[in-house]
Amino acid sequence: MKRTTLAAIALAVTAGLGLTGCAGAAGPAEPQAAEGKTRLTVSVWNYEGTPEFKALFDGYEAAHPNVDIEPVDILADDYPQKVTTMLAGGDTTDVLTMKNVIDYSRYANNGQLQEINSVVDKVGKDNLASIDAFDIGGKYFAAPYRQDFWLLYYNKDLFKAAGIEEPKNLTWEKYTEIAKKLTTEAGGKKTYGTYHHVWRSVVQAIAAAQNGADQNSGDYGFMEDQYNTALDLQKSGATLDFGTAKSQKTSYRTMFETGQAAMMPMGTWYTAGILQAKKDGKTTVNWGLAPLPQKNDDGKVTTFGSPTAFAVNKNASHSDEAKKFIEWAAGEEGAKAISKIGVVPALQKESVTAEYFKLEGLPTDELSKKAFAPDETALEMPVSDKSAATDKILNQEHDLIMVGERSVTDGIAEMDKRVKSEVLGQ
Amino acid sequence: MTTETITQAPAPVHSRGNRKQARRNTLIGWTFILPNFLGFLAFTLIPVVAAFALSFMEWTSFSAPKWVGLANFQRMFASDSFWIALRNTVVYALGHVPLTMALALILAMLLNRKLKGIGFFRVAIFFPYITSLVAVAVVWNMLFSPDSGPINQFLGAIGIANPPGWTSSSDWALPAVIITSVWRDMGYYMVLYLAGLQAIPTELYEAAEVDGASAWQRFWNVTIPSLRPTTFFVVVMLTVSSFKVFDLIVVMTNGGPGRSTTVLSQLIYQEGIGEGKFGYSSAISLVLFIIVLTVTVLQFKIQQRRER
Repeated sequence: MKRTTLAAIALAVTAGLGLTGCAGAAGPAEPQAAEGKTRLTVSVWNYEGTPEFKALFDGYEAAHPNVDIEPVDILADDYPQKVTTMLAGGDTTDVLTMKNVIDYSRYANNGQLQEINSVVDKVGKDNLASIDAFDIGGKYFAAPYRQDFWLLYYNKDLFKAAGIEEPKNLTWEKYTEIAKKLTTEAGGKKTYGTYHHVWRSVVQAIAAAQNGADQNSGDYGFMEDQYNTALDLQKSGATLDFGTAKSQKTSYRTMFETGQAAMMPMGTWYTAGILQAKKDGKTTVNWGLAPLPQKNDDGKVTTFGSPTAFAVNKNASHSDEAKKFIEWAAGEEGAKAISKIGVVPALQKESVTAEYFKLEGLPTDELSKKAFAPDETALEMPVSDKSAATDKILNQEHDLIMVGERSVTDGIAEMDKRVKSEVLGQ
Repeated sequence: MTTETITQAPAPVHSRGNRKQARRNTLIGWTFILPNFLGFLAFTLIPVVAAFALSFMEWTSFSAPKWVGLANFQRMFASDSFWIALRNTVVYALGHVPLTMALALILAMLLNRKLKGIGFFRVAIFFPYITSLVAVAVVWNMLFSPDSGPINQFLGAIGIANPPGWTSSSDWALPAVIITSVWRDMGYYMVLYLAGLQAIPTELYEAAEVDGASAWQRFWNVTIPSLRPTTFFVVVMLTVSSFKVFDLIVVMTNGGPGRSTTVLSQLIYQEGIGEGKFGYSSAISLVLFIIVLTVTVLQFKIQQRRER
């Protein structure tokens, strides 16, 4: 009797486990919305730390009371891998956020996204930055709503203290020269002239953009000058040593916000970060923006950037609602909603830019405004199915050059050789 | 007559009951392992078998897998990255296994005595093992920092003019990772050795002492042979974990600088999850599986021969 009871309990527990297991795997089949409302699901990363999502969702819900937006929050670092897994498993999330164009091309070319030419046409191709990156044989599978590009952040107080005028029309030579001048050491506290973060784009994407070169070409001679500049700055102590930055996992925000670096090439996403830090009283840095230093001094500003876009999942539960949301988010209203929190929208219209500069705390001097209107913005990494593999190799060789294990010439030769044999030759 | 029927009758009933009982026991046994077995089946056994099959295919996770025969293996054996990762994995194992073992044994000997506050020291040595691995990796990274790190400042202070660049140098990054992992793991293996030491009967030492054996002879002829089962277990566990090392390296160096600390399990992750080449990465994991299997079987064979 007792044994039967035990066996029964064991069986019941097992069955229970099995059932919950099944339920867990299937997930909520159809999200339950409040009466009469459509619940639209959108994949996002780090919802708490990426305020643009909340701004867009709140704005859209206010304008469309019959829609409830539910963010599907994913860890930022694992975002592409997680979305890939979700899609492979037939997930029905309606809107998928494309963190970068490399992932976009992977999903679109594998038939995971719906074509949304009608949405792109309504928003207007001419005003959307980087829209060409989404063109796959005349078809668009996503619409960009955000466009980050690189510029130069600088600390106005440190410039004034060193008696250096604002960084106008900088070439890389001039930039190196003032970075060295701005480097000081007093009372054991070192102030660096500039801070180059450890990402390869700081050297490689800049070189590619300003030389009009292709990072998937397997031919990397165009990076030589930019590497020499970066290494010269490092050797002279005008920027934090690469090895130290890497091993201490140095935060670029700390470097700039505590005044340890007088300049810093960085993406526009950081403006929202500084504004928030100033609002929270975490920093008092008196900052300004300048265009990225240039290769030539012809006055033309070339930088690089990366768009972020929304796409409709092939298996979306609410395709039509998803398209409406994207049209709103990539359009003027969405652009204004994110401008208000310091995020640069992909839609480039005067009315939108005006909204952006109304932001409290944003530097409003002429140079800062000029920094926001580069003449040309190249893609950080070209759209290709080879980009992910090339990226890995360029990263590894970048490390070796920056820590001084390989000379610039040898490092570039190694990149050429490896990309040709491991990526292009496959 | 009646007694006969009584004694005879129950026999078949009894054996039927026995069989029933046996079947019921088996069923109960199965139900007890079922939850665990289902998990093992769904998350270990099936994926392992699937990975074996996938290593002969090309699969991006979006479309159906395509049979490619041995192409993945040809590609792997022709790839620099694979050989570099294999070499790094072997070097890591060769550093990590003996060092951890030796230090764990030494610590266990030191702490295997009656001393005031011995509990504190044992806990202190064990502590790294229960500390979050990410925290360990980040803190050691800072200690190893080439310019401002305490380790190099200390080395500078004792007169070493050109201290190593540790994680920022491709020659020293792997040793830095090995040092960190030894520091982290030695406490755990020390506990295993401690248990082994305490199981050695004191009579053996007393008899050896009576026979005039020195401390060194006692260690070599009593302690070491008595610890053989523990040592075997420690070696197998350490070897398997060395070949599978992933987390510590990802957080500390992420395989860099260049490819100087990329190990096989990391290469599997990069190729599979990172670039979506699941067939190719399954092929690498198959090779890793065969290596670990061979090494473990070899260790078992050696152990058996010793015991004979």
